[in-house]
Amino acid sequence: MRPLPQTDGPDRPFWQALRRREVQVQRCGSCGTHRFPATRYCARCRSDVSEWVVVAPSGTLETWCVFHRPYFEGLPVPYTVIQVRLDCGVRVFANPAGVKNDKLRIGIPVEAVFEDVTGDVTLLMFKPKGS
Amino acid sequence: MGAVSAVVGVGHTRYGRLPEFDAYELGLWALKDALADAGLRFDDIDGLIVNRIPDYQRFCEIAGISPDYVNITPGQGRFSGIDIETAAALIRDGLATTVALVYGNNGRSAGDRYGGAGDTYGSGGAGNWFPYGMTSPGAFHALMARRHMELYGTTGDHLGTVSKTFRDHAALNPSAVMRNPFTLADYHASRYICEPLHLLDYCLINDGGVALIITTAERARDLKQPPAYVRGYGMATTLAGSMFPPDDFWRASMRRAGEKSFRMAGVTPADVSTLMIYDNFTPTVLFSLEGYGYCGEGESGPFVAEGHLALGARYPTNTSGGHLSESYMQGWALNLEAVLQVRGQCGERQVKDCALAHYMAAAPVVTSIIYGREPS
Repeated sequence: MRPLPQTDGPDRPFWQALRRREVQVQRCGSCGTHRFPATRYCARCRSDVSEWVVVAPSGTLETWCVFHRPYFEGLPVPYTVIQVRLDCGVRVFANPAGVKNDKLRIGIPVEAVFEDVTGDVTLLMFKPKGS
Repeated sequence: MGAVSAVVGVGHTRYGRLPEFDAYELGLWALKDALADAGLRFDDIDGLIVNRIPDYQRFCEIAGISPDYVNITPGQGRFSGIDIETAAALIRDGLATTVALVYGNNGRSAGDRYGGAGDTYGSGGAGNWFPYGMTSPGAFHALMARRHMELYGTTGDHLGTVSKTFRDHAALNPSAVMRNPFTLADYHASRYICEPLHLLDYCLINDGGVALIITTAERARDLKQPPAYVRGYGMATTLAGSMFPPDDFWRASMRRAGEKSFRMAGVTPADVSTLMIYDNFTPTVLFSLEGYGYCGEGESGPFVAEGHLALGARYPTNTSGGHLSESYMQGWALNLEAVLQVRGQCGERQVKDCALAHYMAAAPVVTSIIYGREPS
């Protein structure tokens, strides 16, 4: 089994949304900047007013790497980690879903794939848009 | 005007596996060596900064010293440059006249790991991404390297040339842990750790200690060794948003730190004799060459391939072998090498007529330090 996220902490709305096939992040109630992981204060305007909002499940591939040395039990190598900037501005690390590494290019549009890894946990992954 | 402070003593332990020593003992070993090098006594130290050593009070107990000024910094490589700059500022402001900087690292024997469940690289936010397998400083730099390759056409040969060049230098350094030269073919045959980075793109993990003694430029002239004047220094950070690699490969902050240090020193990159670049992973060497103005943006790959970093070329770099081949002393041993180069004491690997040595780092916190054979 791969490492599992802490789904009952401050990021709980994010993990619950993934179960519903939605992407939710925090949005600052003052300046509107989106953020994830959860923080009490906005790093842009320092307001402590925020709400969790549904954002577009799409973004842009910024870069990737391929792990050949294992660090976690349950994650056999090789596996690929991608860095995606969601259209709302939030960055995430994730895995590509159903795409070969030679199809990865910086700047390609990607869309969310919701990957159920246990009965309770869904991970956010991505595939090239339209593929 | 001219330099206010100078490095007057340097010391280091053996490098490698030293399981019978803890970090305190490695630091004290290096400090004894540095004081002997400078011709100074323990009682001459009135300022102390320890790095990666767990506790400053315990260190002072063991060393039997009570300096007027004391400080401690965490075991991250960025702090070597920060500590040296702090020492120079303490001396300039008169808070201390003779500062000992002491580093001890028993990470190899203590079994330190840089990735996996205990990973706290950077802001410590790494745990959020473990479910995807994202971990380790190496992977962070692999992501940056891939982006550099895609944007500018940088290749594995470029990275391999960095690693191979430093190994060639290490072959001339009796203190280096890894001294067997290798070819680019060997580089490509070495296993991937996190693609596009191979084993030979990663720094070593070994035990050791380094100490530097810094004092006023005036006092330095009367001591045993030729002074290595601290001609200029600067620092800048890219900490906001630093859970992810920066879009600009830390260029903006390197430019800022570099400009501060060059302005203070009254020199330009064209005046510099040798470079000491923080090489935790080969890509940071490329990023640094661009950030500090030794080549244009995106041009570091071809620049390296042209051979400029080798001994005898225009900018001999990491003449000790660096973190990749000499020793993982988190910037300290590179600063020590900069001092030895401006003193002219590097033997077979000495850079001819070495007037200025530039230490630099590419990271969320960047430091730039220029050492000179002359005070101005």
